[in-house]
Amino acid sequence: MSRMRTPEETKAAMHEVVAEMYDRMVKGEPPTMTLPVRTKNNIGFDKKLGVYKYGKKQSIRDATSLGSAKQLLRALHVVEFIEEMLDAGKSSTLREMYYISEAWGMGKFGSQNDSNNLAEDLEIVTKCLREDFKLRPEEDGARMIGNLTLRERNRRGEWMRINARDDVGDSGYGVPYNVELEKIELLEHDIDFIMAIETGGMFDRLIENGFDEAYRCGLLHLKGQPARSTRRIMKRMSEEWDLPVVVFLDGDPWSFRIFASIAYGAIKTAHISEYLATPSATYLGITADDIVAYDLPSDDLSKKDIEALKAELTDPRFADSWWQEQINMMLELDKKAEQQSLAKYGLDFVTETYLPEKLAELGLA
Amino acid sequence: MTGIAQKLASNQKQVAISEFFEKNKHFLGFDSLARSLITAVKEAVDNALDACEEARILPTIKIQITKVDAKKDIIRLVVEDNGPGIPQKSIEKVFGQLLFGSRFHAIRQSRGQQGIGITGVVMYCQLTTGRTTHVRSKIATEPTAAFVDIGLDTRKNKATKANAGREIWYNEDGTGKEHGTEVTAEMKAKYQKGRQSVWQYLRMTSIVNPHAEIIFVDPEGEKHHWTRVTERLPTKVESIKPHPHGIELGQLQRMIAESKDLNLNHFLLNNFSGVTNRARKELCQAAEVEGTRKMKSVKGDDIRSLLEAFQGERVFNGLPVKLLKPPTNCLSPIEEMLIKKGLSKTIDSRFVTTLTRVPSVTQGNPFQVEVGLIFGGGMLADKPVEVLRFANRVPLMYQQGGCLLTKAIESVDWRQYGLDQAGGKGVPKGPAAILVHLASTNVQFTSEAKEALADNAEVMEEARKAMLEMGRGLRKHLEKKKKMAKTREKFELINDILPAIAEKSAQILERPVPELSGSITKIMSAVISESTTVWNKETKETDVEIVLFNYTSRVRAYTILATWPEKSGATMERNETGGRKEALGVWAWKLDSLQPGERTSIKYSLGGLEKGDWTETEILFRGSQDVIGATKMDEKFLQEIRRQEQILDENDSSSPEAGDGKEETTPTVEVHKVATAEEQVEPTVAPPNGQRTLFGGDV
Repeated sequence: MSRMRTPEETKAAMHEVVAEMYDRMVKGEPPTMTLPVRTKNNIGFDKKLGVYKYGKKQSIRDATSLGSAKQLLRALHVVEFIEEMLDAGKSSTLREMYYISEAWGMGKFGSQNDSNNLAEDLEIVTKCLREDFKLRPEEDGARMIGNLTLRERNRRGEWMRINARDDVGDSGYGVPYNVELEKIELLEHDIDFIMAIETGGMFDRLIENGFDEAYRCGLLHLKGQPARSTRRIMKRMSEEWDLPVVVFLDGDPWSFRIFASIAYGAIKTAHISEYLATPSATYLGITADDIVAYDLPSDDLSKKDIEALKAELTDPRFADSWWQEQINMMLELDKKAEQQSLAKYGLDFVTETYLPEKLAELGLA
Repeated sequence: MTGIAQKLASNQKQVAISEFFEKNKHFLGFDSLARSLITAVKEAVDNALDACEEARILPTIKIQITKVDAKKDIIRLVVEDNGPGIPQKSIEKVFGQLLFGSRFHAIRQSRGQQGIGITGVVMYCQLTTGRTTHVRSKIATEPTAAFVDIGLDTRKNKATKANAGREIWYNEDGTGKEHGTEVTAEMKAKYQKGRQSVWQYLRMTSIVNPHAEIIFVDPEGEKHHWTRVTERLPTKVESIKPHPHGIELGQLQRMIAESKDLNLNHFLLNNFSGVTNRARKELCQAAEVEGTRKMKSVKGDDIRSLLEAFQGERVFNGLPVKLLKPPTNCLSPIEEMLIKKGLSKTIDSRFVTTLTRVPSVTQGNPFQVEVGLIFGGGMLADKPVEVLRFANRVPLMYQQGGCLLTKAIESVDWRQYGLDQAGGKGVPKGPAAILVHLASTNVQFTSEAKEALADNAEVMEEARKAMLEMGRGLRKHLEKKKKMAKTREKFELINDILPAIAEKSAQILERPVPELSGSITKIMSAVISESTTVWNKETKETDVEIVLFNYTSRVRAYTILATWPEKSGATMERNETGGRKEALGVWAWKLDSLQPGERTSIKYSLGGLEKGDWTETEILFRGSQDVIGATKMDEKFLQEIRRQEQILDENDSSSPEAGDGKEETTPTVEVHKVATAEEQVEPTVAPPNGQRTLFGGDV
């Protein structure tokens, strides 16, 4: 189900962006770049795809201020740079592009964040993926452990068959940045569900306790806010193998956001939500009630936590009653708790009591 | 006057001077070892500056401090000036006699109001080290210098002299010294650094005496040099007669007792300032004392009645007798431009604004407030601003908190002008220094220590007004800086970025590079002004150029106004665009049709200034559309300028009654018609010289 485009298609899509600027100047107007508004106010639920996508609100970046004008110039440099890579059959990381921009004079990026945002802008406007642009992310993908088998094409072009339980060490299988069909094929599995875990500490705890075998699951370490490739491979496993996905995170506002980006699509990447989001994913814990029910050691909410929770209350992705209840409860408790606070009851409590109880509620144990 | 002088004089006969000195050293300025040194420097430097000023000599003063005996805190102070010198026979009087000279009695602005004088230093040396003070002085008309050691006979309360003689005075370079005085004194004292130090005292002195060159060698041998930044000496001040509003009963009694006038009429006319013939008559009638009365017969109740008439308690025709204000030529303000130079040479900064208020009067005493503010540069942003207080050009270094001048600073909410100030109260914080100078014939202090000015509503009001106006200047500067940054950005956008976008997009699409004038007009959609003010080495003038770019699609009309230092004696030269004077220090040009895409330039030069006098021209405009880089004319600001101008005119006019009919001289300002939309811009028929006045009529 790859949607990779040919270099020609990618170039044509980019030329449309350039032509918008050019035509405006010919008409005696300031050049512009039109792109969707990328805030929570402009994402809406797409019933057909089951994920959140950008709405119809457009923002026009025009060259009437120095900052916007520089953004347009940068976009042109990026287009030119991508064309050169397409022609030469090369790829580069976003960070490399940032350094290459040093030579672009007035079009040089102010920060790495600038170049990342601009690459996303171009993806959105051209409806291409950054893989089409031959731009790689810096972030590395997740780790995976469990009885599942896939095929990865290595850098010599050979396909390698890997079982994520038998062929890997304790750190598991490392998910590469590109997990599209031409790079990864999902072969077979003998598990009942996939569990995505926020912290490395908890991931290692479950492995040490043999949780993946005992409960017939695949474990996936998210490393905080998951990279695109992590979300993409979760999505593929869930769809291609028809496996349930449960998400086990800290109990704080930021974890709620991680879950939203996994299940409904992230605001920043809402243009490709249908490729990255796993609408069937379920939030397992830590929930606000867990903090009370398990009497977990907790911290007071910070000012930023409270702001984040309040923002979530008006975020369309958290509009359903279960989430509203959880968020309000957390605000009321004025507490947050980490996954590893479960260790209060011993190292095995999480695998012997907490997770089995929570999974049972979902009918998975 | 109930100053230290009187106290000293009356006590002189009863107690030994040494005893008196010991008892009162805290307000004589000798209460601590550190302060004693500052006081000694102060007395010597003040004398040098006063002498040079009298003789119209540009002062060069050298101060050297060396440690003679560090363990016993013995310090040697040498102060050398290039003043007129003191004739040999007078040296003894100047250095050995208290209250020498008339400065304690004359009503005029002088440094010497503050302090016991150089004799105090001689006394202090004698009392702390037992050593005499060595004086060497040369006057221009004699070939050699006189020298003598001055001491004090503490039992006889008399000056002693020893080792008197004459010698040829050589400068360091071997040439003969023409004139000047050198004092060498050894005293028990401590040299300190910091806010209350000799260094700070000299630095502050240098700020308010920009005509002086001051060289200071500190005990570590380090040389500090404050250069002379102007050749202009302070205005020579005249002494004035007392004003009836400033008289106290005792003084009036004494004046009447000592009077040699024919009768009361003559007495009133001859001995007071501000008393016209009309006022003289009215005063006598209000006091119910015949003007023809002989002076000897004016006694007791008569004097009291007169005083009441002076003070408006007794009235004439139901009103207090109207008196003229005392003349203000007895004041010598430093003047805005020189304060600016003084501040700039001493403190590294980006922005200086200074302001000299017009003279005013409190209780019959003329006074004048001057302020300066220096901002940015190397100063610390998170510390309270440095407060530089001066009275009659003398630095005030102690008791900052209790001083009227500090209170005036604290009374302003500086937050609105761009400085930090907790709760809008207290001394503001920021990378700035604020200078306040009070010039007055009668500086009133909170105590004999003479370090803090006493509260006075009129002085406070003047100082506060000056601060507010200066604050507005600071705010304008900060706003202008922001605007300039914005303008620079716009120019970068259209000159660099936009052409790059055009070129790159054309290259990617393989099409011709588009023409950009249309896009540029849309992007700028404003009129932009830029001004430069630069010193021209060849012509010795300050060249100003104001450029206006009309980046809109319509014809625009504006009146452009620029500030210039008219008050400081600058002249407008080669102003080919013409225009006319709008108000004191504001010139205006009416520009009727700025065509779209057109660049218009106004050029002129300012004569009569020195380098660094004028470095920033403020551009203002009248018109309906904004001009980036210029400030919209605030008509209130203009009114205030006109008001000040009027006061200056009144002060200058010699005919005292002229003030009553002044209305006819004030121009009536016709409201300037402003084009409210582009469509309304009508072609104006320009008179032959190409300018129309702002007041509607032709030049």
